[in-house]
Amino acid sequence: MTGGAMGLWGLPLALAGGALRVSPPYLWVSLGECLTEKSGRINLGQEGTLVMGAMSGYAVSYLTGSPWLGVLAAGSVGVVFGALHGWLCSLPRVNDIAVGIALMLFGMGVAFFLGKPVIQPAAPQLPALDLGGWSELAPLRAALKVNLLLLVGVAAAFAMRFFFRRTRWGLVVRLVGEDADAARAMGYSVARVRLLATTAGGFFAGVGGSFLSLYYPGSWNERLSSGQGLMAVALVIFAKWDPVRCLWASLLFGGAGALGPALQSVGYTGGYNLFAAAPYILTLGIMTATSSAHRILTGQPAALTVAR
Amino acid sequence: MSAPIATGTLAAPIGRPRPLEADAVCKRFGPFRALESVSLRVEPGSVHALLGENGAGKSTLVKCIMGYHPIDGGSIRLGDLEVTPRSPRDAQALGIGMVYQHFTLVPNMTVCENFVLSRAALPFMVDWVRERASLRGFLSGMPFKVDLDAPVRSLSAGEKQKIEILKQLYLKSRIVILDEPTSVLTPAEADEVLTMLHSMARGGHVSIVLITHKFREVTKYADDVTILRRGRVVGHGRVRDQTAEAMAEKMMGGTVPGREKDENAATVGETRLHVDQLEADDDSGVPALRGVSFEVRSGEIVGIAAIAGNGQEELVEVLAGQRPRRAGRVNVSGEAFHATRAQMKTRGVRCLPEEPLRNACVAAMSVSENMAFRTFEARAVLGCFVSTKAMNARATRMVADYGVRTSSIHSPIAQLSGGNVQRSVLARELDGKVDVLVAANPCMGLDFAAVAEIHARIRAARDGGAAVLLVSADLDEIFALATRILVLSEGKIAYETAVQGAAPSVLGRYMAGHG
Amino acid sequence: MTAASREVQTANGRAGGASWAARSVVWADALAIPLLAIGVSFAIFGVFVALVGASVTDVYYQMYRGAFGTWFSLQNTLLRAAPLMLTALCTALPAHVGLVVIGGEGALLVGALASVVAAHALAPANPWVVLFAMGAFACAAGGAWIAVVGALRTLRGVNETISSLLLNYIAIGLFKHLVEGPMRDPASLNKPSTRPIGEANALGDIPGMDVHWGLVYGLVACGLSYLLMRFSSFGFAARMVGGNVRAALLSGLSVHRIIVVTCACAGAAAGLAGMAEVAAVHGTANASLIVGYGYTGVLVAFLARQHPLAIVPVAILLGGIGASGGLLQRADHLPDAAVDVFQGILFVVILASETLRGRMGTGIARRTPNRARVATAGEEVA
Repeated sequence: MTGGAMGLWGLPLALAGGALRVSPPYLWVSLGECLTEKSGRINLGQEGTLVMGAMSGYAVSYLTGSPWLGVLAAGSVGVVFGALHGWLCSLPRVNDIAVGIALMLFGMGVAFFLGKPVIQPAAPQLPALDLGGWSELAPLRAALKVNLLLLVGVAAAFAMRFFFRRTRWGLVVRLVGEDADAARAMGYSVARVRLLATTAGGFFAGVGGSFLSLYYPGSWNERLSSGQGLMAVALVIFAKWDPVRCLWASLLFGGAGALGPALQSVGYTGGYNLFAAAPYILTLGIMTATSSAHRILTGQPAALTVAR
Repeated sequence: MSAPIATGTLAAPIGRPRPLEADAVCKRFGPFRALESVSLRVEPGSVHALLGENGAGKSTLVKCIMGYHPIDGGSIRLGDLEVTPRSPRDAQALGIGMVYQHFTLVPNMTVCENFVLSRAALPFMVDWVRERASLRGFLSGMPFKVDLDAPVRSLSAGEKQKIEILKQLYLKSRIVILDEPTSVLTPAEADEVLTMLHSMARGGHVSIVLITHKFREVTKYADDVTILRRGRVVGHGRVRDQTAEAMAEKMMGGTVPGREKDENAATVGETRLHVDQLEADDDSGVPALRGVSFEVRSGEIVGIAAIAGNGQEELVEVLAGQRPRRAGRVNVSGEAFHATRAQMKTRGVRCLPEEPLRNACVAAMSVSENMAFRTFEARAVLGCFVSTKAMNARATRMVADYGVRTSSIHSPIAQLSGGNVQRSVLARELDGKVDVLVAANPCMGLDFAAVAEIHARIRAARDGGAAVLLVSADLDEIFALATRILVLSEGKIAYETAVQGAAPSVLGRYMAGHG
Repeated sequence: MTAASREVQTANGRAGGASWAARSVVWADALAIPLLAIGVSFAIFGVFVALVGASVTDVYYQMYRGAFGTWFSLQNTLLRAAPLMLTALCTALPAHVGLVVIGGEGALLVGALASVVAAHALAPANPWVVLFAMGAFACAAGGAWIAVVGALRTLRGVNETISSLLLNYIAIGLFKHLVEGPMRDPASLNKPSTRPIGEANALGDIPGMDVHWGLVYGLVACGLSYLLMRFSSFGFAARMVGGNVRAALLSGLSVHRIIVVTCACAGAAAGLAGMAEVAAVHGTANASLIVGYGYTGVLVAFLARQHPLAIVPVAILLGGIGASGGLLQRADHLPDAAVDVFQGILFVVILASETLRGRMGTGIARRTPNRARVATAGEEVA
């Protein structure tokens, strides 16, 4: 895709297309983390779940020939990791944050360990939806080539917001995240709700991981993930724990992640490594700007303030 | 969740409440006997007071009734049926509800959401329009008015307490247990609430169990009383057959503490602590102190009377250095005070915060180490190493002086009882020359003997020339100790008066924000 | 108070003044559980090994051989343990003030870069001077890097685990950019590296071994950290901050300063590890430095329960496991991620084993973090 034909529009279009292409993992993982954190637990191990999802999705797609089965497998693996995290954190005297780091390292280790055989072979990829088919301009069409997982993710974001506002279980999750003692007094099992929320959160992260290996960048290797799982945690804070805001934030982060390739596509090639670091710098900047040493952040589930 | 009763089923509570009976109930926590053969009977439609000092077993008894703890002996009966609630949910299903000392409302949610969520059976999808309408209908029949859409964290303690009570009625509880409900209310609000409960009981809709240590409430509102002491029933009967003195004697076990003796030998000197237009925010960024100014002179105790949530917590935190201030000045002995360690040392500023274990101690560190918080760098070995010998010697001396009961100065301080933790912190803070002492609710949760002891120490500090600022929600304590009273309401000093001739009802009005 | 600093507090609090029986329970508690965890981890790792079709017993044997079997492999182990001791301090020191920092990887890289800059700046000078400057620059750079984490946490409330992890990625990006760009040695074609620091400036070996002086750096750093935290006034103040920030503020301690200084010390240790790797192992800075010493250091710290002296044997253990990785690849054809899997399993099992603590003795060595909350709620047991 060259910028020449588009002139000034080349860069923003490349960025927008990049955002649409790169954001689904951010979106899915942040939705999963949003659900987990609403119940009052922070899961820093989503990065490990993401990579395991990518590996298992790729492997199953290769073995069965169906990329969608791969996505399903990735989600199942995510469920297992989420449940593992939830169970470990429910043990007394276990530190949430340390467990997250441990599972991150464990997940990444296992993924690369078991996934070694599938690095070489090419697995069937997820198809793209050509939303820009009506256009004559190649760059515009390329930008609007999205994956079904993005659209499902968008729908999930709105569904999750509805879930938290209007359904019984959504309210219970919020209650557990806000005031565990009150929830217990009302007879809800705080441990069970958190375990279920963390498990479901793992499912989302696993699916997000499958996107990486089955669509974009579309292969399985040791350099696959670059911290999307971790950035999703910061993303949720930025989105003030609202699922639909997670959607917008994911697009923003996707755009930042696409900055390097987008600039390359219009001719700038220098400083690749620095651009690769752009999402992290953005995340750090956002966290610094939105956090406060003295105030409780609006929208933050009360149980998380204790868990720092 | 299995059925909470042995035989039969219990339909939704309608009509008159049944009598609630505890029959020779026993409860043990390890070797500690919290309840020993406790029996009581709550007649339908009556107000039954449960009286006893801190640690007598009142909370444990009601928690057993509410299903928090399984009982180790005896039985609990509702009417003719024996019941064994295994959780608060079971108790709720039986029509027994409780209003706790700490609020169970969720601060970040609205009043409406809190009401709906408290229900046992929530619909799968919540139709807020319909719920709101039904709530409004329910509330129209109640004497209290509440704003359904207000987030609970923005409400005052009194409003929260009323909502807690309304919640029980919303849930159709027939027996409502209240644990010290008026501790966070002004005298006027307390009367309002208790009158309402009394009339509802009279009307035969509910039975009330009222846990309290205030005789005034017992004599004015209760029909029956049961007195607990050290886990046993030491007295019970109709209130009109008792006198306050007799009840007090039974509560204390015969030794009623006389009125605290105070030969105020201190001479009031110069201004030691000067606070000028102090402003500070609370944790949510909402202003908690909106321009507070006052002075405390050496040799006097100034009491700040305030209900929880009006800024007194933040005031103490600012003076202690635990919270930054937004504007205004704090001067100690004429110079600006920024709560640095050096300043605290040279100006002799000490602080006794409330909940000492949470605010002034490191739970896992030993008693000796905790007592060294202000002095650990003294007599340093080679200029930078802590002298454990000096630290332990000091701790041994303080433990002896203040009668701290601990198996060893090396025990983690968290293993001590509340009273001994308070004594340890007191020992540390009152060590050496004290010029300014800030004390907040120093006797919360302690038995009368400890209270008298700590009050004596505070007076001794005053006699030694310290300027003492006493922040307390307990008017009795302020009247016992202070010479001047300031009322802090909604972040400002609303009223100032000398203790001599001050009227509690007037103070109560200012504390509630009605000047 | 976080679990990280709680560990530190309880160990210090319990060890003093109790009876012989109580003390031995404490030791049993402290030793038996990590040993149990290691055993369980080996067992679980065996399952993974079996999954990829290798022989479990052979793998165990190769791990032993590769770690401690010969003098050669033992030295290999010590070579790997040296940087681990330092990067583990990058997690253990902030744990004393209640922070969970995992930024050792980034601090190491930043320290490595700074040491190369120092070496080139002072090039023709006496090697002692150059090495000293390299160490100083590395400590300063690494210290500054983690000091940022501490400052962000104490001044802005930014979660230090996330920020230190982000800074790891940022450091990697910066490192690669500089090594492949402005600082690149034109002669390094296949593998971008900085210009070498020169043979004369290499950090030599300890006499009698093939292990460089970096090992001594690690031992000394752990020893000094122990002295600092356990016996000095600063360490006492730091433990107060880690135990209960409110109590520390009440006592007038400058919490900001204590947190930032502790983080700076932590980062300096990891930066020093970077300098040792450059000066003793590679002679230059390149991608060979990005091998996860930082993350393994985090594991060492947790396994050692954040105790600076325990870090030494744990670092040797994990160094041994890492050293056996090559042998596992060659002999049993395991993927090179095998070592990562084992470390991941070990980390998870160690954390899960926390629940067993305090159950070894009955009434004597009791952990009381929850009692603190009960007592303060004003509700006595009755």
